[in-house]
Amino acid sequence: MINTALVTWALLCLLVFVLMLSLLTVAVRGARMYRRRRRERIAAPVRGLLLELLCAAEDEQDELLGRLARIDKRTWAALDPTVAAMLGKVSGRARSALVRLYELRGAADEAVARLGSRSAARRGRAAHVLGQLSHRPAALAVCRLLDDRDRDVRLAAARALGRTGDPVAVPHLLRSLRGARTVPPNVVTAALTSLGRDAWPAVAAGLRDPEPLVRAVAIEALGMTGAISRAAEVARALREDADIEVRIRAARALGRLGMPDGLPPLLAAIRPGRPVAQRIVAAGALGSLGAVAATGPLTELLGDRNPHVAGAAARALLRLGPAGEAALREAADGRPGPAAAQARAALAEAAVGGARHDVLVEVAL
Amino acid sequence: MARVLIADDDADIRDLVAFKLVQSGHQVTAVEDGMAALRMVREQPLDLLLLDIRMPGMSGLDVCREVRSAPETASLPVILITARSQEGDIELGFAAGADDYIIKPFSPRELSSRVTAMLTRVDR
Repeated sequence: MINTALVTWALLCLLVFVLMLSLLTVAVRGARMYRRRRRERIAAPVRGLLLELLCAAEDEQDELLGRLARIDKRTWAALDPTVAAMLGKVSGRARSALVRLYELRGAADEAVARLGSRSAARRGRAAHVLGQLSHRPAALAVCRLLDDRDRDVRLAAARALGRTGDPVAVPHLLRSLRGARTVPPNVVTAALTSLGRDAWPAVAAGLRDPEPLVRAVAIEALGMTGAISRAAEVARALREDADIEVRIRAARALGRLGMPDGLPPLLAAIRPGRPVAQRIVAAGALGSLGAVAATGPLTELLGDRNPHVAGAAARALLRLGPAGEAALREAADGRPGPAAAQARAALAEAAVGGARHDVLVEVAL
Repeated sequence: MARVLIADDDADIRDLVAFKLVQSGHQVTAVEDGMAALRMVREQPLDLLLLDIRMPGMSGLDVCREVRSAPETASLPVILITARSQEGDIELGFAAGADDYIIKPFSPRELSSRVTAMLTRVDR
């Protein structure tokens, strides 16, 4: 038998709990809104000055910078979130002015000190600010946050290191891919890519790492940054690496690099008997490479037993230009069968897809 | 002096664009979403429209399509604003009928030059 009093009591408790939770949510939201409005109110008198600085001619900037550098601490604290946000929204002279403003306010030193804060939010924000300022002297200090106990701080540190432009961060970024406290590969790849060509030697050193993920990310970054001087090493990875994911990334990178070194390993990678995923990506990469010498091998693939490989070869032929297109037309008009069907499908896709065709192929790969 | 409408859900960008264009001698109206932008386009005579592609509710692309589909606004110059990470949107923007685009982060000076160039082209 159910005890009615007990059920009523439990329901009342639940009701009180729900009510309290709702009140707490409303209170927290209200407090946040109050703080935001208060901050906006305090910053309002100098917000116009900030906009003026961003839009000012070079010779007018010094005076405005001086005025903004002198504003009191309370007003600066209220304006700071807008200044930090603007760093990511403007470029050119406007961005340089913001960096100078931060330097004048001593914000870089302050941020370096906050890297050791007990609050994760403060550590993350400090790393973000240093990244936005491209503050190279702090690169090693930010590297230490790649092993932070808080995931968001690790992400902020990796992104910041990409912006500092200091290649000293490369081994640390690659190391952050393994262990208990990791940074996602896409974030590391983006950071390595942002570091640009100065980082190529250190990134290429990652190709010798025992961890396949590290090698894969290093190859991806080299391909994305157009590291043509490293094409031979990427080609070697496609030929010799034991890991399929690394070989796939190497094939894609060779397509992006567009160097002749890429042709022999890519032609070898599309041969029957190799893993299907590798053959598909390598066929696509041959299309990106634009080497007419690939026309024959790709045409042979039109009749491949795997329709995905055959489809990738057909689209790659289209990307080769007139020679590839002629091969496709010949195959389409030839003996009926899977090869002719793939050729006709690719030609039809190109006819309706127009300029978008290349984009779709790249996304598909 | 041209009448320019800027639609962006980011208050910083809205204020910055408005400030720069007013400084360049234009009359600027700023709104924070696509619906408000479309309403303004229908109610007020305008010379140029600056639209952020990604806005909650009605996107800049939707606004652009609507503007192009109505005979009375079909010739209104439209410049789209997009983030670097969303560059794929540019192609969609041109397909929707946009005349030009600006990628964030942008320089206020470049923005002003693009607006001036667009208005000059229309004047011709």
